[in-house]
Amino acid sequence: MSPIYKVSYVVTGNDHPGTIANVDRPPKVGDIVRLGDQSYTVTEVVDLIPARGEFHYLHATLAPARA
Amino acid sequence: MDLIAVLKTVELFDGLEPLELEAVAALCHERTYQAGQVITTQGEIGDDLFVVCDGFVEVLLSRLPNDQAPRTMVHLGRGQIFGEMALVDHGPRSATVRALVNGTAVQIIYRQDFAALCDSNYRLGFVVMRNMAADLSFKLRHRNLANR
Repeated sequence: MSPIYKVSYVVTGNDHPGTIANVDRPPKVGDIVRLGDQSYTVTEVVDLIPARGEFHYLHATLAPARA
Repeated sequence: MDLIAVLKTVELFDGLEPLELEAVAALCHERTYQAGQVITTQGEIGDDLFVVCDGFVEVLLSRLPNDQAPRTMVHLGRGQIFGEMALVDHGPRSATVRALVNGTAVQIIYRQDFAALCDSNYRLGFVVMRNMAADLSFKLRHRNLANR
């Protein structure tokens, strides 16, 4: 089975409540992530807890993407 | 939809053997919601577990009865579960959950079915309950980070 990345996304700079979702690829700083109808830039990625099996647990901080 | 393939990507079922996954799949009921449709309502009695398979849901918390502006606590996407608190503690729903996007698909597992499966297979019950505890822990960590 391919790795699964369970990501805690926290948004800074607006009132988005944050998102938890599984993704197929780990987010990287500078990536653009789309949540709802808004795009965000990944500004920080950290391992939240150690991986277990195929599951990896990450935290990503997001900021609204510049148009 | 290949339900077994989907369930394999859900942390709640990580560590289950193929036959155990098939047993879980046999309990699942798929339902699709349109944006804005309420799936669970805070304060109501409910005992089903939900797994988000596609789309997003938002978790809303009211501070007062008839709160006209409930606070959105988090959005949950693919692979995430909700409804687990009422499943575990038999209490009322702790939050209102509604679909964020059209075509949000969830798998629903009824508590009685789930409890019977756990009673019939203690290993499966242990693995799923451990994963459920880990998921609750992850949500708390997310909340702590969101409140920094």
